[in-house]
Amino acid sequence: MILLLFFILSFLFCGLILLFRNKAVTRILVISYAFIHVALTIYGYININKTELAYFTFTSTGVLLLAVLSVLVIPVIYHGFIYASRDEIKRYNIYHAALVALITFMSGAYLANGMTVLWIFVEATTLAVAALIYHDRTDTALEATWKYVFICSVGISLAYLGILFLGFIYGRGDAASLSFSSLENILKEANPMYLKIAFVFVVIGFSTKMGLFPMHTVTIDAHSVAPPPISALISTTLMNVGFLAIFRVYTLFSSSSIFSFMNSVLILSGVLSLLMAAGYMLKAKHLKRMLAYSSLENMGLVAIALGVGGDGWYAAFFLIVLHSFAKSSLFFQMGQLSRVLHTFRLDETGRYMQLYPAGAMVLLTGMVCVLAIPPSGLFISEVMIFKGMVMNDQWLVLVIAVILLCFVVYAMSTRVMHIIFSEPRNNPVQSSQESVRSIETLSQFLLLGTVIILCFYQPHFLTDLINQSISVLLK
Amino acid sequence: MIPYLIVLFAITLVYFASAERLIIYIRLIGLQGLLLCGIALFELREINTANLIFIVAETLLFKTILIPYLLKWIVSRSGVTKVHRQAMPGFYLLIFSIASLLVSVILSNSLVNQFVNTIFMSIALFTLFTGLLLIVTHRLIISHLIGFLIIENAVFLFSLAVGNSMPMLINIGILLDIFVGVLVLGFFGLRLRPHTNELTRLKD
Repeated sequence: MILLLFFILSFLFCGLILLFRNKAVTRILVISYAFIHVALTIYGYININKTELAYFTFTSTGVLLLAVLSVLVIPVIYHGFIYASRDEIKRYNIYHAALVALITFMSGAYLANGMTVLWIFVEATTLAVAALIYHDRTDTALEATWKYVFICSVGISLAYLGILFLGFIYGRGDAASLSFSSLENILKEANPMYLKIAFVFVVIGFSTKMGLFPMHTVTIDAHSVAPPPISALISTTLMNVGFLAIFRVYTLFSSSSIFSFMNSVLILSGVLSLLMAAGYMLKAKHLKRMLAYSSLENMGLVAIALGVGGDGWYAAFFLIVLHSFAKSSLFFQMGQLSRVLHTFRLDETGRYMQLYPAGAMVLLTGMVCVLAIPPSGLFISEVMIFKGMVMNDQWLVLVIAVILLCFVVYAMSTRVMHIIFSEPRNNPVQSSQESVRSIETLSQFLLLGTVIILCFYQPHFLTDLINQSISVLLK
Repeated sequence: MIPYLIVLFAITLVYFASAERLIIYIRLIGLQGLLLCGIALFELREINTANLIFIVAETLLFKTILIPYLLKWIVSRSGVTKVHRQAMPGFYLLIFSIASLLVSVILSNSLVNQFVNTIFMSIALFTLFTGLLLIVTHRLIISHLIGFLIIENAVFLFSLAVGNSMPMLINIGILLDIFVGVLVLGFFGLRLRPHTNELTRLKD
């Protein structure tokens, strides 16, 4: 019943935010919502594997990703308050109502215990994100929103076809609405061809959300115009929704005869994602697009890790968690950078250390963390992925991945160093430091600090949740 | 009766490839909605009243009336009557369309399953390929929208291909998809000047 209460309160808060034309009321409601979300995560952790409302279960995977979302909700709301502070009340309220709706839909997707419910929540996130991407009401925002909604809708329709293929295996129309546990029993005797088609449809469809090749372009365009706190969500927790959907089907089919086929598809998709990311990062001229390509690179690594297996499975989850913290802090920083430098264009940026030292330190630390340079926790996950490749004799994948990662490191580090230390190549930057306080970087340092601490110490609850999530695969 | 309706549905898909005017596209989308309603009513024998109302609303109200009306409104506002193709004459599109029909038939016959109606599967696959073909080969935003709506019809046909019942949950899923389609059509589509192909501001 707690989950029902959460959904009711979420939609009630959305309604109230739209109803009351008062920024103070909106702030109180949104902050209250953040605490409710944290409470739901704690409740989920205490009640692991409990099913509520028939269609939702607090699985380890769901609770882990829900916890990541809870950690990010507070900074997202804080930076959202700053970003939208100058907006007129109507736009301010639409932003916050859509934000609450998006967080609720993502939470629903994490906890869904059947493919159709999961799919419905994933589809619903598209609507909420569309309202948020279109927040600035510019021509580019309109184009990005259009592309996002259109490509996501086509992709998610394809994913739904994959889910319906499960019905063909079972011979009943309601197979797509059965829970994951009920489906496990019927898959062992299924025609492998159906499973392969279903898996390919699901990977292509949900890659719109995970930001993985071949549907990666949709999130890249969305990033360049979305408000920075929303980019932080799209690039982390929303990608985690896509990852979860693919992971659910992957674990579901893991006991079938197409296991090696799925691994090959994931490795291929991951390597192509890395290739795209490396290529486009080398020519990136827009900072947020560069960060979006960095997310593509990380999701590519996650897909490879899943496909490689062994230590890779643990590494995939660890990478997902750490990437969420590191990348979101960089996107939060983009909001401050645009207020200091008034641009996201690389050629027009420079001298950031001089203009806003706290922000420059966030960029520097964030770059170290995202590029998996020690002491970043991502270093541990990448080492585990490489170890998995070696253990499974994936030497070719290892060589290709290492070469492509070198390009990514070069592209990102040279660009970040340029922003921090160099003179701008084009128009001189306009300083407006008075509006950006150093204290605004606190949440970013906390998140990056967590990424660094997790390199040396991984708490039991985290390792337990990850181990429970991958336990199905280890059987 | 169902085979006749299915064949008629397939003919509408081939017609999409050869049509040149947007108004034809809109009429075909409306006709497909009507055919889907007929197919669903004949196919779904074990269905309760709530589900029946849901399906009739979905096919007749949304697919046959509301969406074609919205499309017509967009076309009349934009003043564009002809489909603009991306360097692909209608003849070649027709060839591709027939080829995709063949591929669909071969694929669905290779996936023979005691639970699945092969004709449904063939036409559902053909519908999916036609929708994707329209999106890839056309430049106008409105053509992309029509491609998306055809894919939605493919999803509906796929859900009918298995068994003779259709659970509420799948209905909700399909309706949500249509809702997104209508939102895309009504809001963003109109603001983007759907008769243009100016979607090139965002690039590296």
